[in-house]
Amino acid sequence: MKDFESGAKIPLEFSGDATVISRLGSGGQGTVYKVSLNDKDYALKWYHPNGIKNHEKFRRNLRTNIKKGAPDKKFLWPLYLTEKLYESFGYVMDLRSNGFSDFADILNAKDKDGNKVTFSDLRCMVNAALNIVNGFRQLHRKGLSYQDLNDGNFFINVSTGDVLICDNDNVAPDQESFGIGGKPGYMAPEVVCGSVKPHAVTDYHSLAVILFKLFIRHDPLMGTNYVNSVCITEKKELELYGTNPKFIFDPEDSSNRPYAGVHNNPIKLWPMYPKYFQDAFIQSFCGGMKNPDKRLPENEWQKLLIQLRDDMIVCSCGTPIFSSIAQFDSKNISVCKTCGRKFSKPMKLKIKTFEVNMFPKNKLYKCHTVDNSDGSDDYITETGEVIQNKNNPGIWGIRNISEDTWLMKMPDGETKQIPPGAVVPIADNVEVTFTNVTGKIQK
Amino acid sequence: MSTFIDDLSSGIVKREMVLFFVIDQSGSMAGENIGIVNNTIREVIPELKTVGGADVDLKIAVLLFSSGYQWMHTEPVPVENFVWNTIQANGATDFGKACNELNNKLSRSGFLKSPSGSVAPAIFLMSDGQPTDDYKESIEKLKNNSWFKHAIKIAVAIGEDADTNALAEFTGTNEAVVTTHTGEDLRKMIRFVSITSTQIGSKSQPAKDGEVQTKQEDMVQQVQEFVQNDESLNQDTIPTEEEHW
Repeated sequence: MKDFESGAKIPLEFSGDATVISRLGSGGQGTVYKVSLNDKDYALKWYHPNGIKNHEKFRRNLRTNIKKGAPDKKFLWPLYLTEKLYESFGYVMDLRSNGFSDFADILNAKDKDGNKVTFSDLRCMVNAALNIVNGFRQLHRKGLSYQDLNDGNFFINVSTGDVLICDNDNVAPDQESFGIGGKPGYMAPEVVCGSVKPHAVTDYHSLAVILFKLFIRHDPLMGTNYVNSVCITEKKELELYGTNPKFIFDPEDSSNRPYAGVHNNPIKLWPMYPKYFQDAFIQSFCGGMKNPDKRLPENEWQKLLIQLRDDMIVCSCGTPIFSSIAQFDSKNISVCKTCGRKFSKPMKLKIKTFEVNMFPKNKLYKCHTVDNSDGSDDYITETGEVIQNKNNPGIWGIRNISEDTWLMKMPDGETKQIPPGAVVPIADNVEVTFTNVTGKIQK
Repeated sequence: MSTFIDDLSSGIVKREMVLFFVIDQSGSMAGENIGIVNNTIREVIPELKTVGGADVDLKIAVLLFSSGYQWMHTEPVPVENFVWNTIQANGATDFGKACNELNNKLSRSGFLKSPSGSVAPAIFLMSDGQPTDDYKESIEKLKNNSWFKHAIKIAVAIGEDADTNALAEFTGTNEAVVTTHTGEDLRKMIRFVSITSTQIGSKSQPAKDGEVQTKQEDMVQQVQEFVQNDESLNQDTIPTEEEHW
């Protein structure tokens, strides 16, 4: 069928019409329009008549998802189904808010007009990764699977790390298939080979690809074998991504390493991350490639990303440094590679399983300072911030920015209440009982 | 200065794809047809800038043929820098010479020398007439070219005088040849083929059920669906081979 013209009225199931304002874009399954409904603007996805296989089954699943509601506020979830029209139908969802970039533009480092698209800082990027991982964690915790996870599914605010997840129409109860396979490069090898249909554990693979592309800015399987293939035919693609996938940083098989002079991003970026973070990718793309159950579930990624954020310190010139891989001399002094400033090895707050660098501007979050026996990790709400004394920048402390009063215990046993706004001095062996967890500052 | 963020500011390496327009600019194309070709391709180029996303670096090459052949640009041009030069119609329909030249350039030493790896090209042929040279030998040679074998090949026969058999020999199947009857048909097909052929392989796909479709089969299926759903294009479509009696 033709595209809808501006002003076309699309009847919704149960009541009302959505009025087409403009066409926003087109994908494999359908076309997305900006529409107006009850004086508010929304997005309408309209399926190509042959864009989905079993219309009735697909429609029933969408209706169920609408009824259940979004797993989390990060999802641009289907809100209303349309009536059937021209042998097809669609659904209405919220429009993305201003200030969000396409994930593909982030990977390209520019938008379609050539404007630069980069994160304000590394912390924002880690926060974006946490938000992506957490979104899919919430979805999988509800027994659902996403099935078509790829770079077109996210919008990211590069100044804050906020994430919106779109294209949620293929979401289905785990192990149920409505026909989608996925996007080349993101599909798990067993889906590429056609031996299984997408489900939660194949989502894990796609998620690891997304994270690898975000942090390493490269395809995890695109190495020497890819370059030597010359023409990537269907047969070659099946081999590289399905029957014989080889991770470019497989520690036991160096045959598919990045190709010098062509694959500059992975060669430059991979060594910049700590080993525990590299190991997570190695597990996902080596062991997890052959045995899907070895892939990392989202809560593991979430812990690793929190660890990465805790491990980071930011030099006053703005350069982020992971202290676990910084080179310290015998006096525990290291040098920023960008500006040459010296800095001491930071003390750490050891709390639960976390070790947070006590370095100016580093933050504590609820996941650190509040008991989370229910399994929910709030990595967003800030509860403490490492600050420098205004008069004496050599003295550092943790400001309580939570709503609770903390209890500090000095090494000599003296205790002191730290109400909101007050500061705990950072010194070796100081103990702090936060809301309901105790941690210790140590060299 | 934050080095880490600077290090993250080089775009991701993508695979390259070249979209070849192979266009008949013989005398018979003069008037409305050549006008529509000029106008529609010029309009569709900006839309093609975003189709590759973070997966494909799209380049465009334009081979024009009439009495002899001519490339619009000396090498494939990245879509973001591509400028369409207005073409004019005159001369004969040296289809064989165009096939020869395409064969020369479909090679690593020709137009397909991406260091990062390429996917097979998409080749979009448009013609309104009968070849005026002996094209049989040239097309046979072209069919043995590996890049050509794996390419997505679609042809538009502009009007009833076009030699659909020659076009089907080029695409390998009648189903990849669409006849346009009006200027509006031609406009629609140029837009549809340009956008769809460059997206095949980098869009979400259905789950595999048995036999895997090639990109060419996928493209032909999409073209057929597009034609069937369009009243104007749907008249007098070329019968499939099975329907020849």
